[in-house]
Amino acid sequence: MSHKTNNKKKMERFDVLSNAVVFIFAICSLFPLYWLFTSSLKNSSDVVKMPPDWWPRTITFDNYVDIFKSQPALRWAFNSLFVSGVSTILVIVVGAMAAYAFSKLKFKGRNLIFVIFISSLMIPKEIMIVPLFRITQEFGMVNSYNGMIWPNVATAFGVFLLKGFFDATPNALREASRIDGAGEWRTFLQIMLPIVKPGIGALFILNFVQVWNDYLWQLVIGQEKSMKTLMVGTATLMQDLNPNFAYKMAGATVAAIPMLLIFLLFQRYFTQGMTAGAVKE
Amino acid sequence: MRLRNQSTREGLTGYLFILPQMLIFLIFLVYPIIEGIRLSLYQINYQNEKFVGLANYTTLFNDPVFFKALTNTVVFVVFIVILTVGFALFVASAVFDKNAKYVSFIRGTYYVPVMVSMVVMSMVWSFLLNPANGLISYFSQEMGLGTVNLLGKTQTVLPVIIFVTFATNVGQAIILYIAAMIGVPKDLFEAAEVDGASRWQVIRKILIPSVKSSTIYITIINIIAVLKIFVVIQLLTGGGPNNASVTLMYYLYNNAFKYNQLGVASAVGVIMFLITLLLSVPQLRSLIKEK
Repeated sequence: MSHKTNNKKKMERFDVLSNAVVFIFAICSLFPLYWLFTSSLKNSSDVVKMPPDWWPRTITFDNYVDIFKSQPALRWAFNSLFVSGVSTILVIVVGAMAAYAFSKLKFKGRNLIFVIFISSLMIPKEIMIVPLFRITQEFGMVNSYNGMIWPNVATAFGVFLLKGFFDATPNALREASRIDGAGEWRTFLQIMLPIVKPGIGALFILNFVQVWNDYLWQLVIGQEKSMKTLMVGTATLMQDLNPNFAYKMAGATVAAIPMLLIFLLFQRYFTQGMTAGAVKE
Repeated sequence: MRLRNQSTREGLTGYLFILPQMLIFLIFLVYPIIEGIRLSLYQINYQNEKFVGLANYTTLFNDPVFFKALTNTVVFVVFIVILTVGFALFVASAVFDKNAKYVSFIRGTYYVPVMVSMVVMSMVWSFLLNPANGLISYFSQEMGLGTVNLLGKTQTVLPVIIFVTFATNVGQAIILYIAAMIGVPKDLFEAAEVDGASRWQVIRKILIPSVKSSTIYITIINIIAVLKIFVVIQLLTGGGPNNASVTLMYYLYNNAFKYNQLGVASAVGVIMFLITLLLSVPQLRSLIKEK
């Protein structure tokens, strides 16, 4: 008995210690963002002052005004929103259809095609950026929303994520609908899609964020200033002639805020979606 | 007869349902891969293409910068993946059985940098690391070490990139591990506790082996993510100083869009494609076995 309590105490100490470390690192990992945000509120001389002000002495929003005046930041934000939104809706539409077929319909070569789709998940599209760029060029899609959107729809991520959700739906439901005389298409739209809504929610969030934060492809395809996404546009501030660090930090804050909001609002979906995508034990 | 008809009809419907995905997949993924392999065998000048066999590959293997890019990429993959898996295991095993609010706080805090993206985090770090007026330089001055330019020295640039990338991306691995650990059946731990096992023993002997498939998954997605590391290089170092931090993806990008060496860039792409293919074999095997 005494041996056991002893052991219990030792266990707790190790536990408390590791949780303290975890907690301290967690706070530290927020510090760069704190610094980003507070720096964006300083004026151009305070931001580089040594020793630094840990909290801005005078708060100014001039840097934000500057960003929206000297850069088409609103346009960039719209581009990001539009490209991420449309890409994601397309991924959901084509992905849900294919996932349904792989899960519920029988056809020759089904498993082989599915495996090929899944293997493609491992290949980052960036490594094929030269041929991909030339193909979009052939289609006349450089500097266009089409060019910014379609390559993002080639991902098999939607198929991968939604197939698991379709697999979990009872076959009887689908058969009942078929016996009632509903066609495959109506069964899919009216019976099956509503059941996998949680999967679609998770897919929407995860894919939206992925496209929103996509960098290299958007850098290459949107060359005109007005066709940049928020990420690519913001990154150009690093090479901007304006030497004011507070201005650059304000730009980075503008780029960070939408995703922070999405995360705070939909945290639940992230965990759900990511674990649905991971390999089951 | 009727039955057979119905099954061919279902087969046809199946193909129709996968058709849109298939088309986009063929045009924007499969075709670029084939075209990339073809281009890697050509010398390309705007509209003119000349077949040169393996000359682009010979050029690569004679370019010391390519080898620098290759070794840097391997160094990044090895260190960042080990740090990420190790630290995420540590964090997840410390918090997974605590109360839900605390778990969600820790998970959220580590995930925020992932959300705001590598672009934003690179911009903050470039400010923090700025030798003239960054906080890091300020601290080193306070400690009497003078200003430091960690990104400007060949000895320090790689560790700094490794740290920044790790610190930005570790949140994803943490989320995955916490979810996996919460899913491990409780009776396994209880049995061990009755036997008087310490928490450390429980973690090492029961918890970590139980989440092995998550470890494989996390390792592979991180290897592939680090393999294409680009943003942090472009925004923090530009591959410098003196090519000390150049990576394969950065090298590919420069060849394609700065030096207009499309053939050489395609050859780099093909080499990276082969590497990813090789790396994804274990993950694919486990996926196919599962079926």
